[in-house]
Amino acid sequence: MNCERIREQIPEALAGRLNTADREALVEHLEGCAGCRTEVAELNAVWRGLETVKSGMDDAAPDTGAKVRFQEMLAAYQAGMAAAQPAARPAVNARRTAWFPMQPVWRFAMAAGLLLAGVLCGRYLPQSGAGGNLEMAQLRAQVENLHQMVAISMLQQQSPSARMRGVTYTEKIAQPDPQVLDALLQAVNHDANVNVRLSAVDALQKFATGPEVALAMVNSIAEQESPLVQIALIDMLVQLDARGAAPGLARISKDMKMDEMVRQRAVWALRKLEVQG
Amino acid sequence: MEDELTMCEVREGAVGKLELLFDRHYPGILHYFQYLTSSRSLSEDLAQEVFFRVLKYRHTYQPEGNFRAWLYQIARRVYADQLSKRKPEVAMPEEAREISGAALPPDREFQKKQETLMLRRALAAMPGDKREVLIMSRFLELKYEEIAAVLECEVGTVKVRVYRAMRDLSDRFFALSGERAS
Repeated sequence: MNCERIREQIPEALAGRLNTADREALVEHLEGCAGCRTEVAELNAVWRGLETVKSGMDDAAPDTGAKVRFQEMLAAYQAGMAAAQPAARPAVNARRTAWFPMQPVWRFAMAAGLLLAGVLCGRYLPQSGAGGNLEMAQLRAQVENLHQMVAISMLQQQSPSARMRGVTYTEKIAQPDPQVLDALLQAVNHDANVNVRLSAVDALQKFATGPEVALAMVNSIAEQESPLVQIALIDMLVQLDARGAAPGLARISKDMKMDEMVRQRAVWALRKLEVQG
Repeated sequence: MEDELTMCEVREGAVGKLELLFDRHYPGILHYFQYLTSSRSLSEDLAQEVFFRVLKYRHTYQPEGNFRAWLYQIARRVYADQLSKRKPEVAMPEEAREISGAALPPDREFQKKQETLMLRRALAAMPGDKREVLIMSRFLELKYEEIAAVLECEVGTVKVRVYRAMRDLSDRFFALSGERAS
């Protein structure tokens, strides 16, 4: 074996990972080669020295806040997932159904009774129904406004984890709101934290109803620094079947300043949109 | 295989299980970034981001793949994103700055300490790709097969790259210390 091949095995030999045959070949070569012996001596000194560097680094005080931060992120993510997916319909509770008649005839009788009671209530009860409905609608609107206010306010927080919670909070908002949409687009375009940007891209799906949002997303791709966010935006455009974004995606697919993976993803997206069309 | 099975559960939606993987691999990931950046606080941020991405891209994990290699692939991308955002900052360890050029007593303990600081300084001055392969091999003790999976290259290439990185570090170290092994 020549010196070059032998020397390439030195780190493995120093780490004790060389197999028996290679180790024997190395030893045999070293016996007759002074140059390689010097090489082993030098690399060995450095290799052993690195052990001290390593133990110095390993001794660093454990990061107690890291676990808390991680758990906070996990909880926010789980909350976001739960809000994004409609809760699975719980299995019908046996206790709740125990009173329900099994015989069709009794079911029919119960339904008729309930219908009659409803008609009588509607006719003879005071006019509180309209007022009650109005109050309910007002309450719903207030809750909705509150959700929007909380989401926007959290999206403007200093801490990335608070902004992340703001993004997941937008899932609670039932109606698309221009202010929330604007706050999410701001987060996608300008948030310093890549995780917040990625989550904001996901959250945008709910609000991306008009072509102007798709256009804003295409424009955002060119502004992004992270290929991951760029790819997430492209994927979202495909998911939304945003065919109006095709010219923008075509530009991205040819822009040599873009990351290669992003360009390839844009080509893929164009194909998908074409097929969907 | 334990990691791979846990990750499969995370992938299928049991995201709470990620905590097990966090407990097992956070220290290694933190060290990986610490060796690369020499900044504890930056490394903590980057390590958190790695686990966030594991969660976010859990569906991309291939059950037959080595979890550790996949995790360090994500870590590399997180570091690459960090580099693209700002100028690479490989801070020279402060102690190494202090000791540079200082005359130390020929005491063995001091000599060893000086050598360690010189090594850290040499390591910090290495090109990023060489430092990275050395960190994976020497400090994180990843197998060559795992490094090959992370770097998406052949095992033979890893072998050559580790040797060249060692050679580079050795040259820098002996240039700083002004003596060579004989």
